[in-house]
Amino acid sequence: MEMAKQEIRIGVYVCHCGLNIAGSVDCEEVAKFAASLPNVVLAKDYRYTCSDQGQELIKKDIRENRLNRVVVASCTPRLHEPTFRKVCEEAGLNKYLFEMANIREQCSWVHLHDREAATEKAKDLVKMAVAKAALLAPAEEIEVPIIRKALVIGGGVAGIQVALDLADTGYKVYLVEKQPSIGGMMARIDKTFPTMDCSICILAPKMSDVGHHPNIELLANSEVIDVKGYIGNFHVKVLKKPRYVKEDCTACGDCSKVCPITAPNEFDAGLALRHAIYTPFAQAVPSTYIIDMNLCLNKDEIMVCDKCIKACERQAIDFTMKPETVELEVGTIIVATGTDVFDPSTLPNYGYGKYLNVITSLEFERLINAGGPSGGRLIRPSDMKIPKRVAFIQCVGSRSNKSGRTYCSNVCCMNTIKDSLLIKEHWPETEIYVFYVDIRAYGKGFEDLYKRAKNERAIFIRGLPAEIIEDPKTRNLWLIGENTLLKEPYKLNFDLVILSVGLEPRKDSEIIQRLLTLSRTQDGFFMEAHPKLRPVDAATGGIFFAGCAEAPKDIKDSVTQASAAAARAGILMAKGKVTVEAITPVLDVEKCKACGLCTKVCPYNAITLNKELKRVEIVEAACGGCGTCAAECPSDALTQSHFTDEQIMAQIDAVTEHDAEKKIVAFCCNWCAYAGADFAGVSRMQYPPNVRIIRTMCSGRVAPKFVERAFARGAAAVLVAGCHPGDCHYINANYQTQKRVERLWRKMEQNGLDKERLQLLWVTAAEGERFASKIREMQKLIEKVTMEEIELAKRVFAKAGGA
Amino acid sequence: MPERHWRTPLDAEKAVRPKAEIHIIKDQCKGCGFCIQYCPKKVLEESDEINARGVHPPRVVDEKECIICSFCTAVCPDFAIFVKEKQCKDGC
Amino acid sequence: MNTVKAITYKEALAECVDAEKLKFCFECGICTASCPMAELLEREYNPRNLLEKLFIDTERALTSDELWLCAWCYRCYRRCPQALKLPEIFLHARRFAVKHGYTQPFKNAVKKFVKASPLPLVAILTCFHPERAGLDLNTVLNETEQLRMEFLSEKKEKMEFIKGKVAVIGSGPAGLTVAHELALKGCEVTVFEALPEPGGMLRKCLPSYRLPREFLDKDIKALETLGVKIKTGIAVGRDFDFNSLWDEGYKAIFIGVGAHKGRELKIQGTKLDGVFHALDFLRMVNSGEKPNVEGKKVVVIGGGNVAVDSARIALRLGANEVSILYRRSIDEMPANPWEVKEAEDEGVKVEFLVSPKRISGKDGKVAAVEFVRIQLGEFDATGRRKPIPIEGSEFVKEADMVIFAIGEAPDLQFLPKEIELTEDGTIWVNPLTMETTLKGVFAGGDAVTGPATIIEAIRAGKIAAASIEYYLRLLG
Repeated sequence: MEMAKQEIRIGVYVCHCGLNIAGSVDCEEVAKFAASLPNVVLAKDYRYTCSDQGQELIKKDIRENRLNRVVVASCTPRLHEPTFRKVCEEAGLNKYLFEMANIREQCSWVHLHDREAATEKAKDLVKMAVAKAALLAPAEEIEVPIIRKALVIGGGVAGIQVALDLADTGYKVYLVEKQPSIGGMMARIDKTFPTMDCSICILAPKMSDVGHHPNIELLANSEVIDVKGYIGNFHVKVLKKPRYVKEDCTACGDCSKVCPITAPNEFDAGLALRHAIYTPFAQAVPSTYIIDMNLCLNKDEIMVCDKCIKACERQAIDFTMKPETVELEVGTIIVATGTDVFDPSTLPNYGYGKYLNVITSLEFERLINAGGPSGGRLIRPSDMKIPKRVAFIQCVGSRSNKSGRTYCSNVCCMNTIKDSLLIKEHWPETEIYVFYVDIRAYGKGFEDLYKRAKNERAIFIRGLPAEIIEDPKTRNLWLIGENTLLKEPYKLNFDLVILSVGLEPRKDSEIIQRLLTLSRTQDGFFMEAHPKLRPVDAATGGIFFAGCAEAPKDIKDSVTQASAAAARAGILMAKGKVTVEAITPVLDVEKCKACGLCTKVCPYNAITLNKELKRVEIVEAACGGCGTCAAECPSDALTQSHFTDEQIMAQIDAVTEHDAEKKIVAFCCNWCAYAGADFAGVSRMQYPPNVRIIRTMCSGRVAPKFVERAFARGAAAVLVAGCHPGDCHYINANYQTQKRVERLWRKMEQNGLDKERLQLLWVTAAEGERFASKIREMQKLIEKVTMEEIELAKRVFAKAGGA
Repeated sequence: MPERHWRTPLDAEKAVRPKAEIHIIKDQCKGCGFCIQYCPKKVLEESDEINARGVHPPRVVDEKECIICSFCTAVCPDFAIFVKEKQCKDGC
Repeated sequence: MNTVKAITYKEALAECVDAEKLKFCFECGICTASCPMAELLEREYNPRNLLEKLFIDTERALTSDELWLCAWCYRCYRRCPQALKLPEIFLHARRFAVKHGYTQPFKNAVKKFVKASPLPLVAILTCFHPERAGLDLNTVLNETEQLRMEFLSEKKEKMEFIKGKVAVIGSGPAGLTVAHELALKGCEVTVFEALPEPGGMLRKCLPSYRLPREFLDKDIKALETLGVKIKTGIAVGRDFDFNSLWDEGYKAIFIGVGAHKGRELKIQGTKLDGVFHALDFLRMVNSGEKPNVEGKKVVVIGGGNVAVDSARIALRLGANEVSILYRRSIDEMPANPWEVKEAEDEGVKVEFLVSPKRISGKDGKVAAVEFVRIQLGEFDATGRRKPIPIEGSEFVKEADMVIFAIGEAPDLQFLPKEIELTEDGTIWVNPLTMETTLKGVFAGGDAVTGPATIIEAIRAGKIAAASIEYYLRLLG
């Protein structure tokens, strides 16, 4: 409140950025204009404001001219906001009293050939920034303590690596695995590329380390069923399903031998049998046997068969075990849930599921594995003979629109090359054909392996078979396709066909997504916070990804990512506390009517309704800072710090002060739309200069009253732009955007307004052209908007907009 | 597990299954039907014949299915049924 | 230097919704390997190549004969990993080509086809559809006729003479192709047809709006000038025994009997008056016996081409309201997507994800059909999603006439046991030679594949003919 009484003294710096800005904007004139604005005590133009000299200039002015707000008109805040904030702090000014006007990416670079209009636009942008700056308030970032324990979900190679790294660093780790044993996909593979190491031989020691590590608590045969809390303070419930075998088990296997019930073993892709009491594979960790209650005869506590009990010398079998719920408090969570393989029976032309000798690459791994069902002999399932001619078909369930899996599965090419070498190693006479569309041997040592396969005379044919036809007598398979390099059809006969199946998101990803409020890409894999610079962080604080949960990857990449995730989680836990940007909502207790609407729209469950106190409560540490609660609140009780209603309204008013009927007011979310507009600038895509962009963190912050205010003040058109649905950086806050815009459209139609004047655009940070063409399209639109229509909109929204 | 298992496992034929020999003492049966009801593999059914006690004793449907859990022996109130493992000779 | 701006695919395919998808072709070759025309014309047609040309060198694609060789069977689309609708992409390019006067390539394409296949008039009317691209059908047909005459007279001068009598059972497109190819080689070919007139499905079932019979007659007559004997009204198994053909001196036999047996649905009310099998319905219409459809509400059950034909005919015969009801979704529908679209434009209603439960009648006549809505479950072994009825979603649809078109199967009881069948009840053949499990007997067409397109039957006939020729040469 003290600040409010204080005289507001704003300093404005208009940057030339060499000729980047000055080339199409008259910076001097903009600075002159800025000086005339209310509260501005000084305005200067400068060649490179971000240079050391530029920074010193600002610091000096702050001290000498008692500036208490600073506006820099230069590049995008996504680039230099942190720089100038630091400058302010060093000069003793709170960093939240700084504001930027983006006159490079969103002005000079996109209006290279219209100096006059670009200069006018730059003036407007400075005016908006000054208007907002006058209303800025200082803020302190809050600190949250972090529990120094981690939860790892998934015990494949990635989960194992994360758990070991964190445990070795000294943190307590809970490793939750759904299956009876850890090991995941890697345990099922025979050899690894490009080194041809035996997969289980290099994995088993790690698995047993996990089993013995004093800092790791392994919860196998368990599932995460509930997660509450926020970064540093997660409260997790894990359902530990009974094994019905106590830890006294020595894994001697006597019980399994006497068990009368058999079923296909999942670990062996159904190629071998297991019993109702079993261990999935010899090296399993924990090695304790387990009883599959779906198969066991002793159901509903009726003891029908006691053979295993009798066979067990250690008396380790206990049918009275019950599921239990374990509650954990952890500071960080690492998602390493892995991947599923594509089911090729959905491709009828390949006959998988019908033709015995068409197998998947995973089935192949079990067949070629010495510990597998055939003892390492690659056999044809139809007659158990060793095949002489083998074909691999690539991209089965990858890179295909039809199967809905448009991505490259990353590992299949190298896996096939490795497999072909394995066959050649054991049976050098085997003829091997690989049918592919592109061979991707991009990693270290991959090309050498590819060359080796070629050297061993594996034949690579470009062109996938269109269909496989089985000869019913021999069970051999005809592959019919086109060699696209020779432009010749082929019809080739093989003894065994291996479908190189792609990887796909786990079918239970949705559960994890919901429990941890994560987002997924269109492919269905979990989405990282930033594809380049934060590749293992989830958008939700305190959660990290490792392995195929994030995208298909090979073992090396999984392990690399796992160690990265461990390091990222370790950084948080080592610090023991985290600061949260001061853009969280502030509640006006007097105004809150406890309607609870905000609790429903909050993507982070950071707002809870306290029925006793008749108000909501905000958990600042859990808040992501999207501001959709503030947009939703019907009684204006919630305000998002640094993006307050007053500040945004002031920006709108600044835009619409002159020539509003020629302007487009655009609200862009920081992450996708604003970044997309920046990208258009960086790429020098030219578009009409009549748009004025107002930045919010999320399009979910755009309250209907902002749009109404813009129309009430005579704006020709309004654009609301955000991330594509599903890509929202605040999980799903942009679904609220959509709802609000749809409501506004209805209102406009009811009042006889052309709803086209309000546009909604989903655009990614990479879709600069999409943004630019939208503005071009809207320019055509506003040229047609008549003064009568503008006046009508003013009248319709006069009350609501409060202009 | 995600994969669909449609094949017969390769070692399906090798799986050792106990060979059962089910003995029913027909005239000792009073027809309570417990053995039929509780058999986990549904190996028994009611027969048409009438025994000395005027009831239908059970009959074996498929001896191969029996896994010799001997639960029938346990539940029979009249000690009228028991199962032995067939001694393996050549060709069994 | 050429200063004219090159045409881009964007201009040529301006109206094609799939145009942008062109970029995502990875050239896996599945389209070409699936294409019956590519096989028929070997190196002269390659849809994958054409697609690529269209993308990077549009002008060359527009002036290429290949553009006109797609026969609309949609086999490529059904298998393409990117689900590219090649026939429709090519159609837009064809329209563009016609508009800009590139029509010579079409004539060259016809010339190529006439050399490679019989029944050119039938194929133009039912497969190539030049009219969709804006060409005048009559001119095209006349020109084709001319080209064929030139080709035949040229060919007759230098015919080979292979020894051996060949019997062809069935005079559909597959059988006629075999006869044509072998007659050109000088073989003595006799075609046996059970129906009174030759043509098989072409005559019996194809609606006359799609194939006016005069053109079918012309095509068959041209065959007869090559010396092919066609004996109609003679059915194997009814009038003579299959094995007696060997005794009569035939060295090789081709079976192209088609799929003429309508599959039946086991629900209540199929015996009511007004319930038809689509094949019967089409046969009646085509034999001039006009079923009374006027002003009626017609319900067609099924999703294949036969269902679509039946519906469109019913509409043409004056039905008041015609609907097709199919139990899966549009993506699974086996009918030609273009024909479905045309049917819808004509006013046929198509409803998906519904399955009939019973037909109720009044005074022995159809009154209504009860349907249940379906949801699609997991994929089954045929690669289609399994239809699962939604309980409580039953609804009743009034109907005066119900036509079942739920699939056709071949009737193969006359065949000797040595010829093995597949699980689906079709003849098993070696896919490379079209030879059956009995030496000297070959098969092709719907009897092998189940209901399929004319062009696929011609392709099968072509392959079989080559194998028979080879076989006869081996016999000496």
